[in-house]
Amino acid sequence: MRFVSSITANVIADIQTSDKTLQTALQQVSTGQRVSVASDDPAASAALIQVETQAANLDQYTSNAQSALSQAQTADSVVTSVVSLLNQAITIGTAGANSTNSAANRQADATTVEGLLSNVVSLANTTFQGVSIFGGTVSGKQIFTADANSSTGYSYNGNSGINNISIGDSLTVQANIPGNTLFTSSNASVLGALSNLKTALESGSSTDIGNATTAITTALNYVSQQHVIYGNTINQLESQETYLASDKVTLTSRETSLVGIDTATAAENLSQAETSNTATLSAAAKILQQNNLLDYLK
Amino acid sequence: MGSLSSTLSIATQSLLAQETALSVTNNNIANANTAGYARETVSLSENSPTSNGSLSVGNGVTVSGITSVKDELLSLRIQQQTSQQSSADAQVNALNQIQTLFPISGNSLASSLSGFFTSLSALSSNPTDAANRQTVLSNAQTLVDQFNTISAGLSGPSSSLNTTVQTDVTNVNQLAGQAASLNEQILEQKATGQDSGTLEDQLGQVELQLSSLTNLNVTHTESGDTLTTGNGSPLVLGNESYALQTETGSDGNLHVYDSSGSDITSSISSGDLGGTIQTRDTTIPKLQSSLDTLANQFATAFNSAQTSGYDQNGTKGAALFSVSSTVSGSAANIKLTTTDPSKIAASSDGTSGSNGNVSNLTALQTSTLPVGESATTLSANLVYQVGELTSDATAQSSSLSLSLTSLNTQQSSVSGVSIDEETANLVRYQQAYQAAAKVVSTIQTLFDATINMIN
Repeated sequence: MRFVSSITANVIADIQTSDKTLQTALQQVSTGQRVSVASDDPAASAALIQVETQAANLDQYTSNAQSALSQAQTADSVVTSVVSLLNQAITIGTAGANSTNSAANRQADATTVEGLLSNVVSLANTTFQGVSIFGGTVSGKQIFTADANSSTGYSYNGNSGINNISIGDSLTVQANIPGNTLFTSSNASVLGALSNLKTALESGSSTDIGNATTAITTALNYVSQQHVIYGNTINQLESQETYLASDKVTLTSRETSLVGIDTATAAENLSQAETSNTATLSAAAKILQQNNLLDYLK
Repeated sequence: MGSLSSTLSIATQSLLAQETALSVTNNNIANANTAGYARETVSLSENSPTSNGSLSVGNGVTVSGITSVKDELLSLRIQQQTSQQSSADAQVNALNQIQTLFPISGNSLASSLSGFFTSLSALSSNPTDAANRQTVLSNAQTLVDQFNTISAGLSGPSSSLNTTVQTDVTNVNQLAGQAASLNEQILEQKATGQDSGTLEDQLGQVELQLSSLTNLNVTHTESGDTLTTGNGSPLVLGNESYALQTETGSDGNLHVYDSSGSDITSSISSGDLGGTIQTRDTTIPKLQSSLDTLANQFATAFNSAQTSGYDQNGTKGAALFSVSSTVSGSAANIKLTTTDPSKIAASSDGTSGSNGNVSNLTALQTSTLPVGESATTLSANLVYQVGELTSDATAQSSSLSLSLTSLNTQQSSVSGVSIDEETANLVRYQQAYQAAAKVVSTIQTLFDATINMIN
């Protein structure tokens, strides 16, 4: 084949290719990313978007779990206080049922029990970030208000709604126990039992006082059961938070493996690209200064 | 027997022949860097001898022709590859612009979707919180803005691509005119028996430029090159050129018509025009339709989830997004129906503190839309589609550019001017010229000797 050196065009193309490789290597070192636009690796880009969505969801689940946890802890401490108030009522009731107790003492006890009742009511009205934690799904209302017509002396203004909060892709946690379940349940009403004890103490009947005290014990057992639910919720939330944090680490490493480049590889690519660029340029300089016949025809 | 004067005439012929050869060499050197120039060679042949009895004496040299050295097949392949490369380049340029609408990180359609859903999820922990509700509404607005922006970004290139179509067609018509006039000149020159190499080089260049604009089919005929484009619509027949026309069609895009008035838009398969039309009529509408489908089905599904719950005031949930009933145009005209954050239907029973419907709303992030994929997957697919199209076109362009380089090297090995070769020729012809001149001066001294004999 006849050889005609169309060197200039080839040299320019070679330099351009080499420059482009160098540019890419530099960009990868400086950004730490192998993929910076979708066309660099379409499949990895699409996968990255899914992973990022998952990561955003994880962050939100974590924040949901934290918020649910604070709410559950508040409720938990409220229930703990209620339990101790009920224990006091039982002590008073047991003493009051003793037939040796004087009417005056019973009257004083009745007043104490009334105080306990209003304490429990005030605890039942506890709010968390402006929302009543025992009001079901009702908001913006005082949940237990004094009501002379009610047997317990209080009426419930909430509902029996329950909110569930997502703390995982398919995991929800119950965020609240409605007040009518916890405090005015039909078979173990805390408010009802306290109110009855107060009435029984006022009436002075040892039998009534004994019955009312038994009812309070029933209510105490019931509340303790509910207390366990909060304990479990708190445990569940805490372990879920740990799980979410470790899942986040997995996702981050998946992100890196999809679009990132490890520093060693990037540095090696860069030094290779630099060497090859230098070689291309020096070869080009040699070729462009190539002799031709005219140099020798003197 | 030759005479002195016939020898002189042989020397003169030689001088003239070497001069022609020198001027061709000179012209080759002058055009060493001219695009499309094919080197020319001089063919010298000996004149028929004069017979004198049993003796036959040569009668000198004559220039029998000047020919351009070229390989038709190579030229055709270069034309075809150029045409395909221009098409790929046009697509790469347009797609690189479009790709910026679908970033893989930062603010994107996918991140807006994900932001919207996480804000809804946050609402579940405190459905009455005004700030939570406002965040949901703002994120919904961001999502709607993303749909609008990307849709506008997709139609932006469409209109600039129409300008390209117009410019390309104008250039095609101008070049077709040049080709027709070159056909005519070549025919005239051939009729006089002259070499038409230079004009053919020019015609080849015009054809190469035409193939970078559109798909070109070249047929060599008696009356010059016949050029057609599309599915055989004539551009040049002999010395006549046929202009392409453009007109805006009912779809708002510029269509290309051949001289007989047929719409040949879809049959222009390569060249800048072909690549531009493919991007405008196939690639962009496909992306737009994916985007519209996502906007329409997502909005419809979300609105229906809204109606299964109650807003903060206990009213039955109403549509949050306003979207057209037809899929086409959904992304462009999707908007929010309200600026009131209390309209988010978080409640499942009408009480303001209930979050029972939030799970129905957030479920849309992963639940399958009628098209068969979830909203998140669809938004990721869009990025994949754009990335794949761009990387395909880029790969095609660079592989074509490699094969074009190799074809050009081949062509230059056939038709290219080698300075070394021409320099050698120069020396060769110079020596021949000097020798012929020496013959003339020798004969002159011989004439002088003869004349002196008379004296």
